[in-house]
Amino acid sequence: MPQTRSLDRVARVEDIETQADASAKPNFYVPHLTYDEMFAADGSVRPHYGPLHTRMTTLQPSELADRQRTLEQSFLLQGITFTVYGRDGAAEQIIPTDLFPRIIPGSEWQQIETGLIQRLRALNLFLADIYGDRKILADGVVPRDLVLGAPSYRREMVGLYVPHNSYVNVCGSDLIRGEDGVFSVLEDNLRVPSGVSYMLANRDASKRTFPGTYRASGVRPVERYPDLLLTTLKSMAADWRPDPQVVVLTPGVYNSAYYEHAYLARLMGVPLVEGRDLVVHDNRVYMRTTVGLRRVDVIYRRVDDDFIDPLTFRRDSSLGVAGLFNAYRAGNVVIANAPGTGVADDKAVYAYVPEIIKYYLGEDAILPNIETYLCREPAQLSHVLANLDKLVVKAVGASGGYGMLIGPHASQAERDEFADRIAADPDNYIAQPTIQLSTAPCLVDGQIEPRHVDLRPFILAGQKIVVTPGALTRVALKRGSLVVNSSQGGGSKDTWVLVGDGPQS
Amino acid sequence: MMLARVADSLYWIGRYIERAEHLSRLSDVMLTATLDQNDAAVAVARLAMASIGDTDHHLDGRTPLEAVHAMVFEHDDSSSVATSIARARENARQVRDQITTETWERVNLLYLRVTSDYAERDFGQASSSFLHAIIADLHLFKGAADATMSHGEGWGFLMLGVYLERAQLIARLLDACFGDKLEHVPLGDHLAQTAVLRMACALEPYLRAYTADIQPRFLLEFLLFNEEFPRSIRFTTARIEEHLTRLSRHSEATGRAGPERLAGRLSARLEFADMDEGQGPAAILSAVAAECSRIHLAIYETFVAYPLEQRLPA
Repeated sequence: MPQTRSLDRVARVEDIETQADASAKPNFYVPHLTYDEMFAADGSVRPHYGPLHTRMTTLQPSELADRQRTLEQSFLLQGITFTVYGRDGAAEQIIPTDLFPRIIPGSEWQQIETGLIQRLRALNLFLADIYGDRKILADGVVPRDLVLGAPSYRREMVGLYVPHNSYVNVCGSDLIRGEDGVFSVLEDNLRVPSGVSYMLANRDASKRTFPGTYRASGVRPVERYPDLLLTTLKSMAADWRPDPQVVVLTPGVYNSAYYEHAYLARLMGVPLVEGRDLVVHDNRVYMRTTVGLRRVDVIYRRVDDDFIDPLTFRRDSSLGVAGLFNAYRAGNVVIANAPGTGVADDKAVYAYVPEIIKYYLGEDAILPNIETYLCREPAQLSHVLANLDKLVVKAVGASGGYGMLIGPHASQAERDEFADRIAADPDNYIAQPTIQLSTAPCLVDGQIEPRHVDLRPFILAGQKIVVTPGALTRVALKRGSLVVNSSQGGGSKDTWVLVGDGPQS
Repeated sequence: MMLARVADSLYWIGRYIERAEHLSRLSDVMLTATLDQNDAAVAVARLAMASIGDTDHHLDGRTPLEAVHAMVFEHDDSSSVATSIARARENARQVRDQITTETWERVNLLYLRVTSDYAERDFGQASSSFLHAIIADLHLFKGAADATMSHGEGWGFLMLGVYLERAQLIARLLDACFGDKLEHVPLGDHLAQTAVLRMACALEPYLRAYTADIQPRFLLEFLLFNEEFPRSIRFTTARIEEHLTRLSRHSEATGRAGPERLAGRLSARLEFADMDEGQGPAAILSAVAAECSRIHLAIYETFVAYPLEQRLPA
């Protein structure tokens, strides 16, 4: 009760108080060498940040702290938490959330959006090809063993019909902005990307924290994501079932992203099922309801490939449904994303994406890649080993910020140890130059400080490709840290994509 | 039509919410009654403990406050207020997509309150107002559910849980006073009689029906057979029958020994029974307990854990 009431109060207060107390201005930081989202290099405020910057200067530190507390309370009350497993059993925590939105002007977004659409179109064509005629391999554009030998390549998928060639229906790419201010793609997440519920929850919160600023800035809405997702999923079954039954498949309440699974099911108005709720009979999938078995047509699964069907993939999985993959092969159910998409977001295949785009679309990539050294190539391997102190080295199969070395921040001993690992299994490693991610203002212990951020927009692909005008901005909350993953102490903040380029336009 | 697992969870949310409310009220009444130092106070404490299945060794060596503290917080005990709320909330989390945000926030807030670091301190400083606030919040949960959830199938399972749990709890309370067990507690004293009515949240409605003339026989009659009081066994069984009849309408499994038939039989028995029937109150109470268990099992066989072979498409 108290939480709800104080939220209302904050919402009203901002519109009433216009008098700024000039003596209690918060201290702003001086932008460092790296690109800052709010301040230009000469220290002036970028025009699209104008209204927010003005608001920040009129709020006293204590008011900022108040709003931050209210924000965290409302996340806790809504149960927007993830589970941390520690010594004393499991504890639920909220993902640290920063109250200042990150702002992207309209024209810049335009570029990001066309770039993302181009990239996903090419990647879906690539998947259709490597599970079909394998032309790109025959033409030698991508090495054959790199694709066919990858553990994430699913032989079971060869020759299957996938409607609209949309293997990837939900994609959450990670973009970063380097020192030159240019956005590039760091990673394509094509398996089961998560975080979209935080985008929506952050938006809900920032509208209440800065209602006046939100109105003045002209922000594009993100709230349609759930119904766009539903339309995308339905379009995957449209040619054989007129009104398909969609479900969300979750590993269960102990999964760290459970909140998101329940959130999306609720906002789409479809059942949230676990493996034990589904039965396959005669190559058709049914769910156990109170009135008997009911047919299921589209499964938006939030379970990894390995676990969806113990008969086809991992035998010891209890999260999946026995016989699901056969029903999929028979064309009686849609699984989204399709199994086997992971091969296209493999960190080594990533290096070839610009060529893949060129090969299928005849276009240059709009969003550049980060320069990537493949340790499988002997010449590049020796370059990597000689420059370990400047590079970031990543294991090809790992994600979530695990299994990586950030050369400049590591000790000589750590680098030596990693060098041995690379030399022992070069195929498993790639290296990239250390990028100074751009910074954005964050509230840290009552002070406004710059923190490194990345950008995860969400792209939907069914019959057509749609990009939601917004994103999850992930924040490295430790000073100087470049790791934004929530499993490694990262947080998040809302992202405002503007209709125009700022108040002047 | 809803997932069988979801129906199961909603049913248990109802049961745990009702259990938490009853235990909180029992605790509160017991604490207040035992402020008096006399035989009736001891009888009330014994009765409260007996009605939750604990014989009076539970009180051995402990003050009533310590016993109540255990009833509220003991985490291993499957029937404490904190455990019941935590389980209701865990079930709600599993069906988060099926209940409204308003309803979820109520049970989540309750959970955060009873598991917070300050809960035991607050209880120690003002136990009565602590319990009072929990009961009020549980009422808010029911109110939010009633006012914001669609009164369809999911709602039916939630209410089924509430009323089935309530019927069993009240039956157990009455059994402790009127049952044929050897150790049952005599209700000779006015203090004990009002305490029992308070435990069933029935004091004021009783007074309006029978005036301040409190007699064990009237008390039993009111809590067993009253048609309008929401905690009388007759009222709860009528609701159970009502909800089951609506739920069974959709089911393909009609025509078998469905739970609605069992509920109808129990409901009819309470409707037409009278106090002076041959076997006396003990027999009626044990019949209520047995029938409630059978209804519980029948709900499982019909809606939740049915054998798949019978339901596969031809």
